[in-house]
Amino acid sequence: MTRPWRHETIVLGLWIAEVALFSVIGHNFATPGNALEVARISTEVGLLAIALTPVIVSGGIDLSVGSLMGLSAVLCGMLWRDAGFSIWTSALVAIAAAGVGGLLNGVLIARLHLAPLIVTLGTYSLFRGLAKGLTGGVETYTDFPKEFLFLGQGYLGGVVPAQVPIVIAIAIAFWILLHRTTIGRAIQAIGFSPDAARYAAVPVGRRLGLAYLLSSLAAGLAAVLYVARVGQAKADAGTSYELMAITAVVLGGTSIFGGRGTIHGTLLGVLAIATLQNGLRLADLPVELAGILAGALLIGSIALPRLFSRKETS
Amino acid sequence: MRSETFGRELAAIGALGLLLLVLAVVAPSFFALSNLRDLALDNATVLIAAVGMTCVILTREIDISIGSQLAIAGVVAGLLFKEGLPMAGVVPIVLAIGAVFGAFNGALVAWGLPSIVVTLATMTALRQGLRWSTQGEDVLGLSGGFQWFGLGQEAGRAVIIGIALVVFSGAAWALRNLAAGRALYAVGTDAEAARLLGIPSRQVVFSAFLLLGVLTALAGILGAVRFPQVQTGTGMGFELKVIAAVVVGGASVSGGRGSLLGTLAGVALLGTLGPALTFLKVSAFWEEALQGAIILAAVALEGIRHAPGGSPARPRGSQSQPKAA
Repeated sequence: MTRPWRHETIVLGLWIAEVALFSVIGHNFATPGNALEVARISTEVGLLAIALTPVIVSGGIDLSVGSLMGLSAVLCGMLWRDAGFSIWTSALVAIAAAGVGGLLNGVLIARLHLAPLIVTLGTYSLFRGLAKGLTGGVETYTDFPKEFLFLGQGYLGGVVPAQVPIVIAIAIAFWILLHRTTIGRAIQAIGFSPDAARYAAVPVGRRLGLAYLLSSLAAGLAAVLYVARVGQAKADAGTSYELMAITAVVLGGTSIFGGRGTIHGTLLGVLAIATLQNGLRLADLPVELAGILAGALLIGSIALPRLFSRKETS
Repeated sequence: MRSETFGRELAAIGALGLLLLVLAVVAPSFFALSNLRDLALDNATVLIAAVGMTCVILTREIDISIGSQLAIAGVVAGLLFKEGLPMAGVVPIVLAIGAVFGAFNGALVAWGLPSIVVTLATMTALRQGLRWSTQGEDVLGLSGGFQWFGLGQEAGRAVIIGIALVVFSGAAWALRNLAAGRALYAVGTDAEAARLLGIPSRQVVFSAFLLLGVLTALAGILGAVRFPQVQTGTGMGFELKVIAAVVVGGASVSGGRGSLLGTLAGVALLGTLGPALTFLKVSAFWEEALQGAIILAAVALEGIRHAPGGSPARPRGSQSQPKAA
C-alpha cells in the first residue's frame, strides 16, 4: 500500500462531508424518512453496482446490465399479462432469463476469450433490441397486483422500504463471496493476472463465467424491483443504469484494470452519488450538478492516487 | 498481421454485400437514388466520427464521451448562429470547442488514466452540463443561413456527403502512408516498443483524441444543419453506434489492428440495416437486436479463429499502467 489512505476511507469522508453540507443547506434532508428514500431510490443502481464489482475486479466490464433490466422487465410483464402466469412465477422466470443472458456473456468472454467491453457492447444492443422488438417499442405493462407493488412501494413495519432488506442481504452475500471465499480470492487473482491465476490452478473460465452470471442475475432482480417501484414495465427500463453503476463502482475504489476493489467501497460510491442527487434537489440546486460533480469526482478519484504516488510509468 | 485484418474487413464487406443482394431481389426499390442519398446523408456524421474513433481504438484506447460532445457542438452552433454570427465564424469556433474536449480527454489519458473511466466521466459531466445550461430546451427557429449552410437543400446535402468523403479518404490515405498514421498502429501494437523506436507514444495518443474531438464537432455541425432546430437530447447512444461500426469493420479493441476501409464497411452495414428492415417489411424495432447480433457475430468469428491457448482479453486502458499499488 503506497497510498496515504485507503480509497474507501476517502469516499467515506466524502459521503460524510456531503451529509454534513446538505444537513445545513437542504430542506428536510437530515430526516430518517429522507435517508430511507435515498436508500429506496438507489436500490436498482445499487444492486447492479454490487454485482458489477466482482466483474470489474476480475479485469472485465459488463455494459449489458442496463439493457438486460429492460429485457427482464418486459419479459416479466409479458409472462404475467399475456401468458397468464402468476406475477411471482413471471418475476422468477424473468430473473432466470436474465441469467441466460449472463451465460451468453460468460461463454463469449470466458470460453472464446473475447474482449468483455465489446462482447457486452454487443449484448447491450442485443438485449435492449430484443426488449424493443418484443414490445413493438410501445407496449407498456401496468396494473400489477398490489402485493407485487408492495415490493417496490411498501414499507415493512410502516418504516423500512420493502426492497432495502433485499439489497442489504445481497450486499452481504456478495461481500462474503468476494472477501471471504476462495472464489473471491480467485476473482481478484484473475484481475491481477489471468495467466498467473491459471498457473496457480484457478479455473479462470468458470470463475469469470460466474462473475458475469451473477451480474446478470442481479440485473434481473433489479428489473423486478424496478417494475414494482415504478409500477410499469417498458422496454426502456434501466436505460444508462450501467453507466451509473460503473461510475459508483469506480468511485468506490475498484480499479478498472482489475485486481482491486471492495463491496463496501462500491456501496459507499452508490451512497455518495445518491446523496449528492438527493441533497442537491432538497437544497434547490440544479440536479444536473450531480452529473457534473460525479464526473469530476470520478476523474479526481483516479487522478489523486496517481498524483500522490508519483510513479513514472514510461 | 495484414491478412488477419483483411479477413475481418472482408467479413463486414461480405455481410454488406449479402444484405444488398437480398434487398436487390426482394425490394429493388431500395436502390432508388433518393433512398441511397438519404442513407448516405444519415450515415455521413457516423462515418466522420468513426474515422476519429478508429484512430483512438488503433492506439488501444476508447472514447465514450462523443455522444455528449456531438450534442454540445450542435447546440453551440445553433446558439452562436442565433447570436448573429455567420456560419463562416460559427464553424471554426465549434471545431475549436471540439478540439478542447478532445484535448482534455487526451491529456488525461496520455498522462496514464484509463480512457474508459475518463471518458465515462466527461460523458456524464458534459451531458449534464449541457442540460443545465439549456434547461433541456431545444434551439428553435434556425432557418435561413443555418439550415444547409444557407445553400439550399440540394447543395447542402451534397456538401455534407462531400465533406464526409473528403475526411474519410484523406484519413484513409494518411493512415496508410504518413508516419503519423503508422505511429497509431505502432503505439497500439506495443506502446513500449514504439517508445523505444523513438515514437512519442503519449503525444500519439493525445493527438488521436484531439482528432476525434474535432471530427465529432464537425459531425455535430453537419448533423445540426440538416434541420431548422437543434435538439439538446441528440447524440445519446451515438458513441456506442460509432464504436460498434468500427469494431464490426475489423478494428481490434486491443489495439494496433483495423483499417478505415473496414470502418467504412462497418458504418455502411450497420447503417443499412435499419432502412433495410423497413424495405423487407420487418418491424424497425428489431434493428437494435440485429445490430447486437452482428457485433457479437463479428467478434465471435475472430474469437473462434484465434481461440485455443490465448489468455482472456484484458480490459482496455493505458498500456503499462501498474496494477493498483
